Amino acid sequence: MRRKAQATGVDMRLGPRPGEIIDRSRGLTFTWDGDTYPAYRGDTITSALAAAGVRVMSRSFKYHRPRGVMTTSYLDPGCLVQVGDEPNVRASHRMVEPGMSARPQNAWPSLRYDVKSANGALAPFLSAGFYYKTFMRPKRLWPAYERVLRGFSPGGAVSPEAAHDYYDKRYAHPDVVVAGGGPAGMAAAVAAAAAGAAVMLVEGEPELGGHLRWGAAPELAALGDLRRAVAATGGIEVLTDSVVTGRYDGNWVAVVQRSAPGVVERLIKARAGVLVAAPGLIERPYVFSGNDIPGVMLSTGARRLINLWAVKPGERAVVLTANSSGDAAVCDLADAGVDVLKIVDARSGEDVVRAKGGRTLRAVECADGTTVECDLLVTAVGWTAPTSLLNMAGDRPVYNERAARFFPGGGHDDVLATGGIAGDGSLEQLIDHGSAVGRAAARRAHEVSATTEIPSLPVEAHPALFKARTHGFVDFSEDVSSKELEEAVAEGYDSIELAKRYTTATMGPAQGKLESVNAVAVVAAATGATIAATGTTVWRPPYSPVTLGALAGRSFEPVRYSPMQPWHEAHGAKPLVAGQWIRPDHYGDPAAEVRSVRSGVGLIDVTPLGKFDLRGPDVPKLLNQLYINKWSKLALGSVRYGVMCAEDGVVLDDGVTGRLGDDHYLMTATSSGAETVWEWIESWLQTEHPEWRVHVARVTSDFASINIAGPRARDLLSLVVDDVALGPEEFPYMRVRSGSIAGIDGSFMWRIGFTGELSYEIHVPASYGLGVWETLLERGADLGVKPFGVEAQRILRLEKGHLIVGQDTDGLTRAYGAGLDWAVKLDKEDFAGKPELGWQEGRDDFLRLVGLRPLEGTAVPAEGSQIVEAGIIVGRITSSRMSPTLGRSICMGFVAPHLAEPGSAISIVAPDGSRVPAVVTPQLAQVDPKGERLHG
Amino acid sequence: MKPVKNGARRMGRYSAFDLARHGVARNGWPRAWHNHDLRRAYDVVVVGGGVHGLATAYYLAARHGISNVAVLEKGYIGSGGSGRNTAIIRSNYLTPEGVRFYDRSLKLYESLSTELNFNVMFSQRGHLTLAHNDSSLRTMRWRAEVNKLEGIDSEVISTAQVKELVPYLDTSSEARYPVLGALYHPPGGIIRHDAVVWGYARAADSRGVHIHQNTEVLGIDVAGGAVRGVATSGGKVATPVVVNATAGWATLISDMAGVAMPITTSPLQAAVTEPVRPFLGPVIVSGSLHVYLSQTDRGELVFGSAVDPFPSYSMRGSLDFIESLAGHVLELMPSLAKMRVLRQWAGLCDMTPDYSPIMGQTPVEGFLVDVGWGTYGFKAGPVAGEAMAQLIAEGKTPELIAGFSLDRFMRGELLGEKGAAAVGH
Ligand SMILES: Cc1cc2nc3c(=O)[nH]c(=O)nc-3n(C[C@H](O)[C@H](O)[C@H](O)COP(=O)(O)OP(=O)(O)OC[C@H]3O[C@@H](n4cnc5c(N)ncnc54)[C@H](O)[C@@H]3O)c2cc1C
Repeated sequence: MRRKAQATGVDMRLGPRPGEIIDRSRGLTFTWDGDTYPAYRGDTITSALAAAGVRVMSRSFKYHRPRGVMTTSYLDPGCLVQVGDEPNVRASHRMVEPGMSARPQNAWPSLRYDVKSANGALAPFLSAGFYYKTFMRPKRLWPAYERVLRGFSPGGAVSPEAAHDYYDKRYAHPDVVVAGGGPAGMAAAVAAAAAGAAVMLVEGEPELGGHLRWGAAPELAALGDLRRAVAATGGIEVLTDSVVTGRYDGNWVAVVQRSAPGVVERLIKARAGVLVAAPGLIERPYVFSGNDIPGVMLSTGARRLINLWAVKPGERAVVLTANSSGDAAVCDLADAGVDVLKIVDARSGEDVVRAKGGRTLRAVECADGTTVECDLLVTAVGWTAPTSLLNMAGDRPVYNERAARFFPGGGHDDVLATGGIAGDGSLEQLIDHGSAVGRAAARRAHEVSATTEIPSLPVEAHPALFKARTHGFVDFSEDVSSKELEEAVAEGYDSIELAKRYTTATMGPAQGKLESVNAVAVVAAATGATIAATGTTVWRPPYSPVTLGALAGRSFEPVRYSPMQPWHEAHGAKPLVAGQWIRPDHYGDPAAEVRSVRSGVGLIDVTPLGKFDLRGPDVPKLLNQLYINKWSKLALGSVRYGVMCAEDGVVLDDGVTGRLGDDHYLMTATSSGAETVWEWIESWLQTEHPEWRVHVARVTSDFASINIAGPRARDLLSLVVDDVALGPEEFPYMRVRSGSIAGIDGSFMWRIGFTGELSYEIHVPASYGLGVWETLLERGADLGVKPFGVEAQRILRLEKGHLIVGQDTDGLTRAYGAGLDWAVKLDKEDFAGKPELGWQEGRDDFLRLVGLRPLEGTAVPAEGSQIVEAGIIVGRITSSRMSPTLGRSICMGFVAPHLAEPGSAISIVAPDGSRVPAVVTPQLAQVDPKGERLHG
Repeated sequence: MKPVKNGARRMGRYSAFDLARHGVARNGWPRAWHNHDLRRAYDVVVVGGGVHGLATAYYLAARHGISNVAVLEKGYIGSGGSGRNTAIIRSNYLTPEGVRFYDRSLKLYESLSTELNFNVMFSQRGHLTLAHNDSSLRTMRWRAEVNKLEGIDSEVISTAQVKELVPYLDTSSEARYPVLGALYHPPGGIIRHDAVVWGYARAADSRGVHIHQNTEVLGIDVAGGAVRGVATSGGKVATPVVVNATAGWATLISDMAGVAMPITTSPLQAAVTEPVRPFLGPVIVSGSLHVYLSQTDRGELVFGSAVDPFPSYSMRGSLDFIESLAGHVLELMPSLAKMRVLRQWAGLCDMTPDYSPIMGQTPVEGFLVDVGWGTYGFKAGPVAGEAMAQLIAEGKTPELIAGFSLDRFMRGELLGEKGAAAVGH
């Protein structure tokens, strides 16, 4: 492969610079657009490319104009590239690594000859919002137009194979978080730590120092002092290449650490006592014709390139300066051997008119009528204060005419500002201010004083420079010009929010940090309002774009298993994902499992059943409040089935509760409803009845639960229980007993019957679950005991006509519709849903849950199939299965009241459109409707 | 109500030809809408310059010739939910009434660009609701069956078919919440929400409607059980008809008329990433993972979830939200880990107990409501505007919205859309 630097013969690398951050002893190579380039450790992708004379880094979004380096920072709008499978990498921020493969993003077929650059000629037709005005007719062609528009979308590509690397999170509780490691931020951190605060100092660049890093000798000397002070002061955690991405309510501060060892990125969530915002100032681009041509740079961009990476930004330069940064750039350029052909001093009214060139800058036309041939134009026209962290705390920035920039509105106790966003002044003044803010932050974090006086920084006059007399780009990443903004205003989009939305200015990857204030200024000029009245746009989090990986961290989607799950899997169980739980669906043949329960005895693992341990004298009150039926008289040792409704009378959950002691109960809820029921209980106890003496503990996974069902259930249980009398008289239906099961004390068993068989549900301490399960299978081998899964249980309960809340009820099913009229006890003093149910009593216009039998015994209409009468929907199938016991299909479903009578003929529409005639059965239960098996 | 002709004005037509003509000549386009002084009286005052208010005004003028209408907006048009939503349009609801209503809206959206002469960029790339467990699969079959019987293109598809439509989706059985199938609704999709707002505003303005931005309603004058006028930050206006179309602020406006409504306001959050090349066609919704996402024509991914769990008027995004959202997105598409979130925001949703709107008359004569749009009201803008305009013009509640009346809460006749709208919007 060619060595590009040699091939082009261009070498812009300078001799050693005092503040350079490249390691000349460690050379490396990487590829750009397929060609190999040399670089040093410490180079960014663009500094290495600029050193090799590469000027075009990308093509712009709409017009495919060539773009190059401008800010040499994270915000560089023309420097988003693809690195491997990572899109939109900030090439002026990302360090090169050996073997890295970087590609331009928005160019086809190549950066040099981009076909879509013809769009530039079409610019007048592609003006802001053009797509709202065309592609409407013919309507049928819109999808084709849309594909073309989609083809324009900027940005890199994601690959479906990209690995989800390792990201993680950390919690921190610093007294003070300082966002920004420039001089003021470092001083604030040192002062806060010296005052006893635990400090987290966060800097976006790879090193502390802010603008001092690309300064001259005195700045570098000060930088050394400050860095030493930070290192020497205990209690400061320094995070470089990290960024405070958001400040949320309660000073909940998000920090993304980009180069943490061992992880791609780490999200640190810090509950900060005080947040000190010290992000410095962002240099503002100037709006004029040609302001995006490669070779037009900001003064900070040129200075960084020269001083940090020892790269000469051009050969012949014009400098437009309105401030000391521009003046310093002039010195740096001269020092780097660049011919500074002309200095345009905006402070004395001088100006540039336009830049000319194609793939690179050729000349600059100045307001004095001269045109200077050059390959570099450096502008220094002013600053933008990135106040977004303050905005997130509710701050509204205020425009200062004298300084021609926005300032924080101020007035927060737990978010303070220092450095450039707070004002101007000498380096000493900035450091002093930072120290004062740091001390105040420490005091406030320790709640010593909330009203510490903080001196204010001077505000220096700065010419108000936003736009020259020509039109140019306001938003480089969105390709929006000042002309388009003016046109938007003229079309009626005459507030900053409307103009922004119409043109998409400020909506791109730089999030408005470069372009927001220019957009406001252009709109203000167009509407005749002041900048202050036009206002800034609200900066929303995050401060800097954050990867989904960092936000997600490691995946914490816990899987819940019963202690018997490994056994199930080892015995061929097909897993069923049921919310958080993984359960055995069946062990191969659910119909056989049903038959073995009906004829002998079976075991099912029902551990996921929601379980709550309730204690206290007021438990009956709680039960009466939650359930629609009555609970005051539940005798010791008894179990009752209960139904809960929400306040709208809609069935919420069901389950059984047993009384284990005088003030001790065990409540169960459905597996899927367990979380909701817990929140429901807590909301009643915490907000409505804090005076009730009830303790609730969630014990779902403290117990392993097993249902033993079938005519031989008692025989099986008697093999493992000897301290509880199991006879039908001593332990009848709906009773609970505590005792020892298979030698395990502290176990409970109750007699209930979801399957319709004689059955016992046993709850044993979870750690013994597997042992008890295996013991039951071993001892019961002679009885023919077999495990059964969720599918068999569903069939069994359907045969028995027991409903499942959420399947055989829905978001509108009130207790009456589900055939639970018997449970509604309106004479109770109060219960959740009582007013609504009272109101519904006696109505007869709601759907009823009924048992159904297809006439054709082999037809099983899918659950969800609709019941139709004369083209109108009159019901639906909620449950349907082949019944192994009856050898035919059976269903449960909702039907309109006039069809609810047993014997009514109905017509089901199956998903394939075929009709399935069926008849309403006398009861919900189709097997053992009298309940003889259950009570046996 | 008698139609009042009201100085309708010529609006510059938009077309490819005119675009070229303007491009060459570079003479400006006419204003899309105009600023006016507040009149002392209007036939109808619509409070709220979102899609509902503007559509109502447009249909009043366009279909019924009632154009002495003011739309009062306290900020800029579209500053409420209409400029903050994630713009999902679909009609695969659960109840036959809901399906019919939303399908009318979808049909209106399909021809809205030509009707308004403003390209609203309705991108019908399909809508997929994923099933991660058998119970959601069951509910989806129920929805599909109801949809089909109502003539809506909607079906339950298999995991393999899902993978074909969305290759980036993790459909392996090892996924924490495996995809078991999906409800597929080909006509669903996303739209450019601002364009809908602007298109209605421009078309209403050209028919004589006055749109007053930066005009806040401060009080409603009710006497003898009927509306007489409104007090605004720009002065008093007399009117016999006030339409409350203020979504998240709905109860504040209804309170001014003394009408109580079972609505609470909760924030709903959303987020958008940096653009990447197009890779995702349909809208993806996963109720179990509380997340939905789509890719805009510009290449950004737009994400959302269910409403925040507590009522509030705060429009600030939270960290918890964006963290859990990112986690769930990566559960679905692990290869997106390196995409970056650019912005997160929140809007206000006016939630009713049954996830259905409240529309029509109230006990105060002349005080009409078009509220309770919760998390799903953008897609209903056209049909709601059409129905409200018809109600005002004809004085009687159209059949299509009869079920949404305020008094259903007195009659205990709630509607059942919670399951179909809680995350899917
Ligand atoms: C994040 C998010 C995502 C969403 N996603 C979807 C989706 O995908 N699909 C969907 O269909 N729906 C979605 N929605 C819901 C949808 O945005 C709303 O239901 C819909 O926009 C409501 O429109 P509207 O015109 O009724 O109200 P809005 O657009 O909210 O307009 C109400 C207006 O009233 C104004 N107002 C309030 N008080 C006063 C006063 N006193 N005087 C004058 N003016 C006043 C407000 O400023 C506001 O502009 C989403 C909502 C949010 C927040």
